[in-house]
Amino acid sequence: MVRKSRGRQKVEMVKMSKESNLQVTFSKRRSGLFKKASELSTLCGAEIAIIVFSPGNKVFSFGHPGVEAVIDRYITRNPPQNSGTMHLIEAHRNATVRELNMQLTQVVSQSEIEKKRGEELSQMRKAGQSQCWWEAPIEELTLPQMEQLKVSLEGLKKNVTKQAQKLLIGNSGPPQFFASSSSGGFFPYDRKAGGFNPNMVLPQYDYNNLGYGRGFF
Amino acid sequence: MTRKKVKLAYIYNDSARRATYKKRKKGLMKKVSELSTLCGVDACAIVYSPYDSQPEVWPSPPGVQRVLDRFRTVPQMEQMKKMVNQDSFLRQRITKTCDHLKKQRKDNREKEVTQAMFQCLGGRVSLGNLLMMDLNDLGWMVDHSLRDINKNMAETLNDGSGMSGASHASQLEAVLAATTGAGPSSAPEPSQMLADNFEVNADDMQRQQWFMEMMTPQEHMGFGGDDMVLPPGDNNQNGPWSNSFFP
Repeated sequence: MVRKSRGRQKVEMVKMSKESNLQVTFSKRRSGLFKKASELSTLCGAEIAIIVFSPGNKVFSFGHPGVEAVIDRYITRNPPQNSGTMHLIEAHRNATVRELNMQLTQVVSQSEIEKKRGEELSQMRKAGQSQCWWEAPIEELTLPQMEQLKVSLEGLKKNVTKQAQKLLIGNSGPPQFFASSSSGGFFPYDRKAGGFNPNMVLPQYDYNNLGYGRGFF
Repeated sequence: MTRKKVKLAYIYNDSARRATYKKRKKGLMKKVSELSTLCGVDACAIVYSPYDSQPEVWPSPPGVQRVLDRFRTVPQMEQMKKMVNQDSFLRQRITKTCDHLKKQRKDNREKEVTQAMFQCLGGRVSLGNLLMMDLNDLGWMVDHSLRDINKNMAETLNDGSGMSGASHASQLEAVLAATTGAGPSSAPEPSQMLADNFEVNADDMQRQQWFMEMMTPQEHMGFGGDDMVLPPGDNNQNGPWSNSFFP
């Protein structure tokens, strides 16, 4: 498996030497900085303004309740306005932000679930490769292995087509819907937002239970 | 770094909020400083806590003033282009995360279907429990794998020097040794090697035919339906080829 990033490295606090790295670093860190600022204002109700110039001289800014508002407050040294109207506006704004934060939290946790799922699946694949030679990447197979696999796949394809026709004609009985469970079928149908089935459970080690499976190896 | 995951909402507990503010404000200032230093760019931060009418700033009041002055020289449109507040920033993050989520689901689905295909091949699962959507995906994956195999087989056959396909060269050598009596350590001329390999490949194919017939119980050669029974997934098939092809 190819390692995509170098992981966490300790960085020396001096200007980066490589121009290409510098731009990437700026992008990432600016994004992270705004994220931290957003969290600080959400969690503690702080008013914040951050202004950053990019290496390419573009200017990025984050402000809560707004960049201009905070700059004004700073420049004029005026205490924040304390009128009823301001409070109303602020309350409304905070309500929206609250909702957005909830939405964000939800999507982030869904993403974390998918990430875990992906790691599980990769683990399964890795484990399977040591037991079943046909699970190895094709580049690693020998010619006779490829031949055999090819024949088996063509056979499987025929079976799949047959089964699909069966379903269309409606001969195989009611399709089974699974919310969870590790027995029975292995494609539990769980419709989520993206139209995918994120909860497929693969009873890989359940040989006894699935006595009806006839395979090609 | 804390272990507990903090909920992204206003902290109503006064002392907890105070403590959090202190820590995070410090962290924020540090991050601004690092960004400025590492990338050699102008930056400033102004933070008003709910507890104090005096703001905390980075780098320093004169430093902040400098950056603000520079900010003011930028045309307003440019200023606004990359300006965000909580609302717009959170929306951006939500969109980004959603896109990432979609991709994750797509990748995971692919992994799932591949696993399913392997399991079908190994006889560990029946097609009867699959829905139409799953059958479609499975069929696609089978086709995709077949395409890859054909491509790889073509490459391996054309590539006489045996550079594609790990250990293929050594296996060809072993077969060469078995058939021509030449030791694997001998180094024939490159062109001769190529010719030999091609010859051996032709023989190879014939032997594979035979080999597969050995593998498959004769009565099931037709691949008719679900009755395909092969010896359970076992890497070490006994036979003349076990050493060469299934190490």
